[in-house]
Amino acid sequence: MQRFLDPAVLAGISSLDLLAKTVVDGFVAGLHRSPDFGFSQEFAEYRAYVPGDDLRHVDWNLFARTERCYLKRYRGETNSQVTVLLDASNSMRYTSGPPPKMDYARFVAASILYLAIHNQRDAAGLIVFDDEIREYIRPSRRQGQLSRLFAGLENAEPRARTDFGRPLEHFQALLHRRGIAIVISDFYEDPETIVRTIEPLRFHGNDVVLFHILDPQEIRPEMKGPSILVDLETGKEIEVIPEYTKTTYRAKIQTHIEQLRSRIRAAGMDYHLLVTDQPLDDALREYLSLRKAGN
Amino acid sequence: MGFLAPWFLGGLAALGIPVFVHLLRKHVTTPRPVSSLMFFERGIQSSTRHKRLRYLLLFALRSALVLLVALAFSDPFVRRPATDVNGRLLLIVLDNSFSMRAGTRFADAKQQALTVLAAKPGPQKAQVVALGGQFEILTQPITDKAQLRAALESIQAGDGHANFGELGRSIRAMAETIKTPIDLHLFSDMQRTAMPANFADMVFPPNTKLLLHSIAKGTALPNWTIERVTAPTELSDPKDPKTSRVQAVIAGFGTPRTEKTVSLVVGGKTIATRKVTVPADGHATAEFAPVDVGYGFNRCEVRIEGSDGFPADDASIFVIRRSDPERVLFVHASNDSRSAQYFGAALAATGQASFALQSVIPEQTTDLDPSKYAFVVLSDAAALPSIFEHTLTQYIARGGSVLITLGTNVGRRARIPLWGADVKDVREYALTAGAATISQVDFTHPAVEQEQPTRDNGGWAEAKFFYAATVDPIIHSRVIARLNDDTPLLIDKQVGEGHILLFTSGFDNLTNDLPLHPIFVVFVDKTARYLSHQERLTGSQLVDSFVELRSGAEPVGAIATVEVIDPTGHRPLSLSEARTVQTFQLRRTGFYQVRFANGRDAVIGVNPDRRESDLQAMPVDIQQLWSGNAGEPVQTTTLAADDVKYRRVSLSWYVMLFALAVAVTESVIASGYMGTQREEA
Repeated sequence: MQRFLDPAVLAGISSLDLLAKTVVDGFVAGLHRSPDFGFSQEFAEYRAYVPGDDLRHVDWNLFARTERCYLKRYRGETNSQVTVLLDASNSMRYTSGPPPKMDYARFVAASILYLAIHNQRDAAGLIVFDDEIREYIRPSRRQGQLSRLFAGLENAEPRARTDFGRPLEHFQALLHRRGIAIVISDFYEDPETIVRTIEPLRFHGNDVVLFHILDPQEIRPEMKGPSILVDLETGKEIEVIPEYTKTTYRAKIQTHIEQLRSRIRAAGMDYHLLVTDQPLDDALREYLSLRKAGN
Repeated sequence: MGFLAPWFLGGLAALGIPVFVHLLRKHVTTPRPVSSLMFFERGIQSSTRHKRLRYLLLFALRSALVLLVALAFSDPFVRRPATDVNGRLLLIVLDNSFSMRAGTRFADAKQQALTVLAAKPGPQKAQVVALGGQFEILTQPITDKAQLRAALESIQAGDGHANFGELGRSIRAMAETIKTPIDLHLFSDMQRTAMPANFADMVFPPNTKLLLHSIAKGTALPNWTIERVTAPTELSDPKDPKTSRVQAVIAGFGTPRTEKTVSLVVGGKTIATRKVTVPADGHATAEFAPVDVGYGFNRCEVRIEGSDGFPADDASIFVIRRSDPERVLFVHASNDSRSAQYFGAALAATGQASFALQSVIPEQTTDLDPSKYAFVVLSDAAALPSIFEHTLTQYIARGGSVLITLGTNVGRRARIPLWGADVKDVREYALTAGAATISQVDFTHPAVEQEQPTRDNGGWAEAKFFYAATVDPIIHSRVIARLNDDTPLLIDKQVGEGHILLFTSGFDNLTNDLPLHPIFVVFVDKTARYLSHQERLTGSQLVDSFVELRSGAEPVGAIATVEVIDPTGHRPLSLSEARTVQTFQLRRTGFYQVRFANGRDAVIGVNPDRRESDLQAMPVDIQQLWSGNAGEPVQTTTLAADDVKYRRVSLSWYVMLFALAVAVTESVIASGYMGTQREEA
């Protein structure tokens, strides 16, 4: 089943619906627990009646047998609201091999949305942004929501550049109900700025998870000769030598990742680095762990 | 081609291409996109230095490649001494044929050969060959100059006839084993008569370079020679004008019409002289008759008086043996007297040898000793006394010869004396087809030998045969003639040292009409000479001809030794050779004394091949064609010596190999750059 989570395999699947179903079913089949994770009308325990309790919950059958009043308690329905914030800036277009970062981000988003709606019966929504909010699909569990979300993902072609500052206000306005906010981006920004921009979401009671999407060549770039590098977002060119990429660059990107991870966790959010040659199950597992925690 | 060759200069201009590509043309690099330049820093200075270093290597390789290709087109070479020419064999061939005795030809040729040998570089291998009557290799390919010089100086003017066809064949055979190139220096008078009939026989293999050193200068001097001498080998009656005469043919080469005096010398004494007028470049005949010679072997000589361009060929030697007529025993059936008459008449008609026929009937042979006869004829003698038959058997084994004819008597008895097989059948053609004729004759056999037989089977086809016995050929026998129904007519069988000649019909003019035909006289003459072994005792032979000392069959009884004494009085055969050798080559002019295995003695006069007397050289254009330098003068000794000293060694092949190596290196380095660009794309 693991091979169905392999990004290289998923890159060959054109339909996001099918892709998400393949990923989630494969992922769920790998778990040792039922996909029905107790959100139905499931009996939990009996509790002795105390004055003030709602009589509708008294188990009259038990009362008839024992002449004692007990309340029948169920596991409550904990439907949550999941909102995926997808970065669709030009930097997400980069790839050193299939899939591109943008596609990988789509896979992650589609899998989480499918898992949320189809398996967890959560309300799911989508925000596609770059330097502004390009698309917003309100979280919902209605019929056809999944199709709308996938259509939104399909239309999220990379363009422009990332600017966390400008769409932030809209995030706060849109995410007024507590739930799970999943931010998917390559986070080419100062960690302080990123945390400062996203942290307010946490103040509304959201569980915020940052999925940091990076290509393997962005972590360990390999160059055989001096090259001219072009910034995909700004178009700026500089000449770089291989010695720099082997030493200084790698140190800088590692520092960036570490700072980002520590700052985000310090702010009470979760951070996960997803490299595009790794399977998707890390992202799904993170979502389910959050979901299990009670959201 | 040299360094000013147009191709080379054009190639030099092509050097501008890599200069333009590397130094003048702006380098284009495909930019490589990245997500963000946030963590990158500019590194121009070190990058540029690195690029220059690597591209300069590529530039150097490309420039070298163009330069090397241009250099290869200019065909560069180095001038190296011949010592470095991979063991090119110097083959010195010195003509020592008889014609080289004319004037100072041989001395000049040897001196030129020594000069070429002296110019030979030390490490180069050389080989010395003498070309006389045969291709005689005197040394192996060696570098020792002293040994080569000794071999060259040991060559003496010979008496043989040079043949350039033989030289070509020998060199072709040598080239099959010696793979190194050969520089063949031929020192010869380039006699026209040394050329073979087919020019292709003279052609050398491709790895052989012929350098001719013609000794003959200008036109050949006039030369007269004794071209041919006709003289009896056996003479019994010196006063018989029919046999006692010597005819000499005098030939002139490049001569005007002149009168020459010809002498006949016998035993060192001039016994007769004749004056003959020889036409310009023509022939004349001088005849000496009668010839009065003493008993035994007479060493004779016909000599042209007066000097000419080539005195060595002014005499021709031969031997006349005077003896009483040899007797021939003719045993015939009592009812057959005609055979002896016909055979005796034919034998008497021959002029070359003298035989006396003794005719007897079988009953009279009891006390006869066959060894006293030159040969024995059994004419239709079906029944012989057993003691005589036994004596004949021993006589044949020791070298005697018998002619057997099968007349009508044999048909009644079926057994053939001495032959070892019976008559299988008799053919009486008179009762069936009328007459049979001779259809096949082996003209190579001495008994019927003819050099150019006429169309009527050399005269044999005229004879009609009415009766013949059928005898199957047996081992050691050779069918010489057959009738038209394939019946063997004449069979030769070797027994020990002797021969039995079987004629399956008769000589009585009843079983056939052969005795009435002229060919019968010729047949009897040749058969008599063959059976009496006189064909081996011919008084005159040519140099390099062979004489058969013993028959090829297994010896019977004690092994007989042969003996040969050459003109200088030496015995060229060792004791072991004297017991085993079958033939001997007469290599020198003069008188050889020979004792054959059958005990007979002979003295043989040996003359050089008269083709050597024609001193005219082959045309210059033929020499040029032969040496592969058509249209150019024949190389002189000086040029040849220079060519031995130095040789051009072309470097084009090595330059191209080096260019290939550079091209491969350039491809590897350039593909490294291209690989980086693909990643960038």
